[in-house]
Amino acid sequence: MDTDTARLLGEAAERWAAEHYDLPRRTHRLRCTGGFDAATWSTYAELGWLALRVPELEGGLDADALAVGALMEVVGSRLLLEPILSSAIVATGLLVRQASPAQRERWLPVLTAGRAVLAFADAQPGCVWHAGTLRGQARAVLHGDVASAVVVAALDAATQRPMLCLVEAGATPSLRRRAYRLVDGRGAADIDFDGLSPDVLAVDDDAAAAIDTALAEAAVAQCAEALGCVRALLSATREHLAVRQQFGRPLGANQVLQHRAVEMFMLQEEIAAFTARAQQALALPAAERDVIVAGAKAYVCRAARQVANDAVQLHGGVGITEELSVSHHFRRLMVNATLFGDRDAQFARFLAGVEGGAR
Amino acid sequence: MAHAEALTQVRERAQALRERVRRFHADDMPAELARKSAQHEVLDKADYVQWMQLLHEQGWAIAHWPAEHGGQNWSLLERFAFEDELARLGCPWIIPFGVKYVGPVLCAYGTAAQQRRFLPRIARSEDWWAQGYSEPGAGSDLAALNTQAVRSGDRYVVNGQKVWTTYAQWADWMFCLVRTQREAKAQHGISFLLVDMKSPGVSVRPIATMDGYHHVNEVWLQDVEVPLDNLVGEEGRGWDCAKFLLKNERTAGALVGMVWHALQRLWRAAAEVGRSADVALAQRIGELHLRALALDALAYRAVEAMMAGAENGAEASMIKLRATELCQALAEATIDVLGPAGVSLEAAGDAGGLVKDHLYNRAATIFGGASEIQRNIIAKTVLRL
Repeated sequence: MDTDTARLLGEAAERWAAEHYDLPRRTHRLRCTGGFDAATWSTYAELGWLALRVPELEGGLDADALAVGALMEVVGSRLLLEPILSSAIVATGLLVRQASPAQRERWLPVLTAGRAVLAFADAQPGCVWHAGTLRGQARAVLHGDVASAVVVAALDAATQRPMLCLVEAGATPSLRRRAYRLVDGRGAADIDFDGLSPDVLAVDDDAAAAIDTALAEAAVAQCAEALGCVRALLSATREHLAVRQQFGRPLGANQVLQHRAVEMFMLQEEIAAFTARAQQALALPAAERDVIVAGAKAYVCRAARQVANDAVQLHGGVGITEELSVSHHFRRLMVNATLFGDRDAQFARFLAGVEGGAR
Repeated sequence: MAHAEALTQVRERAQALRERVRRFHADDMPAELARKSAQHEVLDKADYVQWMQLLHEQGWAIAHWPAEHGGQNWSLLERFAFEDELARLGCPWIIPFGVKYVGPVLCAYGTAAQQRRFLPRIARSEDWWAQGYSEPGAGSDLAALNTQAVRSGDRYVVNGQKVWTTYAQWADWMFCLVRTQREAKAQHGISFLLVDMKSPGVSVRPIATMDGYHHVNEVWLQDVEVPLDNLVGEEGRGWDCAKFLLKNERTAGALVGMVWHALQRLWRAAAEVGRSADVALAQRIGELHLRALALDALAYRAVEAMMAGAENGAEASMIKLRATELCQALAEATIDVLGPAGVSLEAAGDAGGLVKDHLYNRAATIFGGASEIQRNIIAKTVLRL
């Protein structure tokens, strides 16, 4: 793990976001563009963020989990709306692992240049690939509304094992999608694949392993995003407690509120520590990796939710208003908790790995 | 980059140390001591002295001391990992009062004569030390302590009462916080004295606790004469020593190891009572297991931050808070799983010991800075509220 690269990337991202992505600007973006515009996306390409998961030989940065985490922390603290996680991390990561030379040639250059957006749909087992065609549906595909193509995890009817394919938005017969907003303002889509002939991604015939790895990377990146949200929530709450006067003194002079803020701080530190451990775990064999990663996401989901709840409570009425970032972080965490494996699913996976006491 | 390489080396040394500890536990633990410890039996003074001397023979008892005093300059990570590993294996408690508490204070603040006189005996566990901090009127508010030391010629005359003094009944010496002056700020005017427990005027009275054992005492000091030579550091600056010591007290790898040990015991208990397939119980233990993993990650990140000089001042408090609260939750769950054996003082196997540990461990969130004090510390140092 290269701590210096990660630190520099994180600092540069924060500098850019501080200038271009404060809350009023973010609100404006959301209102005018629905959360995605081509100009911002190509800026991200210039900043190198869309090349993080691409090997150096193919023009990428080949960044490690620490660097991805440093960027995702800023995505969380500044509530960036664009598909960094679904396109640049998860779907690009799957292409890098599973795409043939021709497929790489077709996609990696346009992805790193910011001229394409991918979404990832984990649609197994309901979505079935049979005799060269794909049938089924994928629900709540994050950024499925703007994706140029969707990487789909489906069930291979012949082998009854997972398979991966890529469906272009402009393919014929075209995929049908119903686009909508998620609670936190980001776009998503429910997608029907009715008899499409997708491009199969099968360089390594163990698609299941590739999907598991991608989902593990997604969960760890989400932990870092949650850490960014939680840092912002605690910082706003601390400030509010120090400044807001009631009964002739600052709220923060009350021990009961101090101790609640301390609990938020400890949760923040645990999220940071667990996230760091999960980032290291991505280098372990799959079985060991999955226990730590599932545990991290399960812990972080609940801890971050508690911080968000308490941030709203300690802010009082203004905590639920559009005007404050608190309510926006609350909603981002709420949405993230259900994507890429929800809390219950992650905990069940963790429990299966530790049950009986083997650690 | 240099720091990253140094950290990698320290991590490797800590890992190698863990392996040596595991080999020692497997090969060199005296059978009777291993049995008592595994059964959670209460150890007596001879057991503890044997244990501490065994650790010293391995070079471990004072390895965290500076080299000029016989230590090996262990890093914080090595010390932490060492205590963690011993506790994971269910080894006896490292008696901290000498090697961990007063020893390092003497290394840092003692005179050359004090160091020559006391350190070798501390290293070899030849003297048993007690910690004379709390008083009836000074618990969480330690600076409110009221034991008086008045200078009279070449000695202090000490009057007052200490309380919750662990194993004072075995002690040869007690390091003690006393008031040598009244000043506006309570922390000023406190001095750090070494009291010979055989001095006339020292009396020790046991306090019975709900686990049925004799751990803690009242220590009464009536016109006890203490030579001026036994003052550590400057008169009136004892709070500096106390704070230095408290930091060592709270940075305890054993807390993390105890959590893992208790967790493994809990999983085993679930299997022993035939509840391996009990989904609700697995959920309960699984949630505790997740908290253990979070604690482990938190603790080692904190230790490394402290080593890098990047600490926020709350590390030791966070570790103590999370570890003690988790230990208690694990013990509660274990008692529940044990069923009837969990409420019997005469239960077979290690159950009786687990019950007693559970009862005594309710104090873990009280001593060494109560949980509420730890939260106050974090609110003040980190959140600046």
